[in-house]
Amino acid sequence: MSEVLTAILSSTFVLSTPILLASLGEIYNERSGVLNLGIEAIISLGGFVGLWIGFQTGSHLVGTIAAMLAGASIALIHGFASIKIGINQLISGLLIITLADGIANFAYSRLPFVPIMTPIQAIRIPLLSDLPVLGSILFQHNIYVYSSFLLALIMGFILYRTTWGLSIRGTGENPEASDAAGINVNRVRFICVALSGVFAGLAGASITLGYIGLYGRGIAAGRGWIAIIVVILSRWSPYRAIFASLLFGFGYALAANLIGVGTGVPYFFLLMLPHILALIVIVFMLRRTRGPAALTIPYKRK
Amino acid sequence: MRNDARAMSQASRIWGNSSLFLRWIWRFIESWVRRYLSYLVGMLVALSVFSLILLAINLNPLSGLRSIVYGSFGTLFSAGETFVRVTPLLLSTLAFLIAFRGRFLNIGVEGQLNIGALFAFVAASQLGWLPSVFSIPLVMIASALGGVAWLAIPLFMRTKLGINEIFPTVVMNFIAGFIISWLTTGPLKDPLSINPQTIVVPVSTWLPVLIPGTRLHAGLIVSLISALLLYIILNRMVLGYAIRAVGLNPTAARHSGINVNMSIISVGLMSGGLAGLAGMVEVIGTHHLLIQGFSPGFGFQGIAIAALGAFDPLGAIVSSFLFSILLIGGESMQRGAGVPVDMIFILQAVLVFSVLIVDKWITSRREQ
Repeated sequence: MSEVLTAILSSTFVLSTPILLASLGEIYNERSGVLNLGIEAIISLGGFVGLWIGFQTGSHLVGTIAAMLAGASIALIHGFASIKIGINQLISGLLIITLADGIANFAYSRLPFVPIMTPIQAIRIPLLSDLPVLGSILFQHNIYVYSSFLLALIMGFILYRTTWGLSIRGTGENPEASDAAGINVNRVRFICVALSGVFAGLAGASITLGYIGLYGRGIAAGRGWIAIIVVILSRWSPYRAIFASLLFGFGYALAANLIGVGTGVPYFFLLMLPHILALIVIVFMLRRTRGPAALTIPYKRK
Repeated sequence: MRNDARAMSQASRIWGNSSLFLRWIWRFIESWVRRYLSYLVGMLVALSVFSLILLAINLNPLSGLRSIVYGSFGTLFSAGETFVRVTPLLLSTLAFLIAFRGRFLNIGVEGQLNIGALFAFVAASQLGWLPSVFSIPLVMIASALGGVAWLAIPLFMRTKLGINEIFPTVVMNFIAGFIISWLTTGPLKDPLSINPQTIVVPVSTWLPVLIPGTRLHAGLIVSLISALLLYIILNRMVLGYAIRAVGLNPTAARHSGINVNMSIISVGLMSGGLAGLAGMVEVIGTHHLLIQGFSPGFGFQGIAIAALGAFDPLGAIVSSFLFSILLIGGESMQRGAGVPVDMIFILQAVLVFSVLIVDKWITSRREQ
């Protein structure tokens, strides 16, 4: 039993990684005043591109970079449509889902081979990984897991302690004042939208290259949507996003491990677990939240 | 402007007193161009992306185009299939559209459609002893109730707890999909079939076929009537006025005495009901049973279709026909030339994106 518990807790960290990564990008995105509902599919696209390029070059690193670039380029389409032109951001984000899923699945079906890669090696942190229980839960993960938590701290620091972070928060709260202060509002927003694509692509790569080594339709399994819920649950803070992602990572880990154990509960009910958890979280924790004031409102100079 | 005036005076010299008539024609052409230019550009962009994709995989774009047209209208049967596909697309488009017009972003049409199909299946399998005249309307009501039931939780959260409806509706899509997967592989599975599907519903509950030799069923009429009804409700009724007012500006609507929550509840009921009907037509119209994954994302495509039709119920009819032609043609290309049908989703996104962008660009230029 304790082995199952250890496995669940250990995979909690693995499975919260893509959620955390995607939510970090989305936090920046929303802080600057743009909502990107498309990250569910950008994760899939990043996962596919990462695996494909990684398979072709034999390098996990090159694959990851390709995934991030693919995510950024598809997110910039959303940026162009919603920031520059000013079409409805919700509709634009939902169209990105059709587009990114279409590209990933089309390219995957056309490949003359099936890309399969061994997931990247776990890094055992010296001394700490030998601790009795904590060692296997916390210190035997791959680079994606460690860097996601490190990135959360870095992104939090940038957002709260640097002038860049201040201008990002400013453009989301009061774009007129930011513009008056000499900040190029739309450029900040473009950078943040690209960043959300980069992080969603990285999240996808962390699934295919870091965890399963395969691509399939619907590989994101709702993680993109849950990342957006995490953004609200963490009240747009990268630090709090760590805990919110761990909560949902636990939901996915519970599902994944209980399927392996064989509990007698139908398989599909276990798959439902993270989504039911999300519904409960929405009911009890998403009331009376206030996002950035200028969220989804395009900025035009008067 | 001056050139216009000169042309106009020249024209009046030629045509005498008919300059008023010419100006009227010019106005007409101008407004027509403004209105449909975005669609023209969108079509051209989609067509060029289509050609580029086909060239990239070493296929002839012209023969690709021909196989889309032939696949969707080449034979009586394939034309019937195109109309069969319009039905769930149009109903889910209307479900998204009416909610969107009333400022309720129902991204959960896919889930409500799944539950509506489940309710339709259960009702139809129990009502085989009734004559069709009674059983089919009862199945329709059951499916609409199923869709509404699945939307009830997000609707309650929005109106009573003030929670944004996007997230509960999306999350419940996944839950609905898993419920259908569980039922079609477990309790409701047809023991004689190797596929994840249920037994066939009684023949008396099948929607009648409209044209023999095709699968075209009466669901198409249901969807077209729904579109007309929504058009009338939105444009000719007090309820529609309230819905549009809330959609444009909820605060202003509330101050002018409109009950915003009641308006949102009414669009929610319509939206959930229409989504349930979209599931119903697939069960008792097209397949006559419930299949795992019977919906290839009708609920999500409804979003793009609604945007393409400018969120107007009559526009939705035209744009869902267009999407249906693309999908049926694309599926025949997948069977024939081995081009994955996912290409069609890329094209749909490109088409709607370009139409929306050009449209917005034209309106913002006019404002300046």
